[in-house]
Amino acid sequence: MKSRILVFIFLFGITVILHAQEAPYFVTYDHHLEEPGNLEIATWTTIGIPRSGQNLFVAPFAEFEYGITGRWTTELYLEGQGTPGDSAVFTGWRLENRFRLLKREHWINPILYFEYEGINEATKILKEVVGNAEISSERNADLAAVHAHEIEAKLILSSNFHDWNLSENFIVEKNLSQAEGFEFGYALGVSRPLSKIASGNECHFCLENFNAGVELYGGLGSTNGFGFHQTAHYLAPVISWQVSDNSSFHFSPSFGLTNVSYPALLRFGYVYEIRGFGQKLARVFEGKP
Amino acid sequence: MTRIIFVCMLAVALISAQNTHYQPDANWRAPDEAAAKENPLAEKPELAAGGKKLFKRNCVECHGDSGQGLKKAADLQLPIVQNQSDGALFWKITNGNPDRGMPSFSGIPELQRWQLVLYLRKFKQIDTEKTQN
Repeated sequence: MKSRILVFIFLFGITVILHAQEAPYFVTYDHHLEEPGNLEIATWTTIGIPRSGQNLFVAPFAEFEYGITGRWTTELYLEGQGTPGDSAVFTGWRLENRFRLLKREHWINPILYFEYEGINEATKILKEVVGNAEISSERNADLAAVHAHEIEAKLILSSNFHDWNLSENFIVEKNLSQAEGFEFGYALGVSRPLSKIASGNECHFCLENFNAGVELYGGLGSTNGFGFHQTAHYLAPVISWQVSDNSSFHFSPSFGLTNVSYPALLRFGYVYEIRGFGQKLARVFEGKP
Repeated sequence: MTRIIFVCMLAVALISAQNTHYQPDANWRAPDEAAAKENPLAEKPELAAGGKKLFKRNCVECHGDSGQGLKKAADLQLPIVQNQSDGALFWKITNGNPDRGMPSFSGIPELQRWQLVLYLRKFKQIDTEKTQN
């Protein structure tokens, strides 16, 4: 079983890659979109540290982010989940779109976010936390058999002030497969680069290549009961390292703040950006060198 | 006659070396207050080296190694760019022009954006040398 999980992680790991000059957040979105024509490929992993009697899980997901225009970015996610002693399963896909509303930079920059999720109940990537918390101890095979079609919207507000980024996300999600009402959640993030000045020499470990901050995210109940009752919340220091001009590594330990949260989550990811992907692809089809 | 042919050839060479797809956006102008800002790093030209690194990381894909402009991006060597104030260039890097494909780089720390402006001024010399030759 362990070998199956390792193969599963490896297969997702192959597609690993990440981005440049982006905030180090895992859950919170800021207002920066992908550059038009660029494709960003990333693999992220969420490891859930269990309470006693529960199982540890590893939930990797691959992300393909493409800048369609300067104000529209689209992303496709493929996700899975593996539990030692149980099984590894494919948990579905998500398609998200983000739209920048204002042309220029302002004190507060709003972005609208819409996502469709074709997932099953075995999903544990915790890309966002909404509604009330349920930590299931059912087997993956049973959870994966329950499919869900969900739509999600976010209002992203983000500000850059003297090198600090402050972002607030307000989340609403609706499971179209079940009568759960609308679920709500939030994510807040603050971050800044560790150096204000770029050195002239090429270096991997200069402070300018690191960005650090903290995230706070959690659920806010649903239309059946809005508030903090039985909701999970996490506080997470985050750090990103610009490994090269077009790749970065991200890491975050998250700490559960309520007794229905996982005690801790370990998150890490690697992002690689293919610049001018759209133009390169167009040249292939047009037969131009 | 030879002189006219030489001037024509020079003009053709200059035009072909530049990005002819670029159409300046007349509406993309820095507000007066932003354009009047001075580069706080103006007295530290050595920091342009860091600007070069940032340019390679963030700008080369569209503007080319020597700022000549690729695709629809501006030729940064042109007087229409180089005659703008430091403050105006800083504002354009910060805000971008998303409807024309130029992203906002407000995520880059403020002083690093000024380093980019320092480095952009190096392209003025290239244009001057090109014209003299």
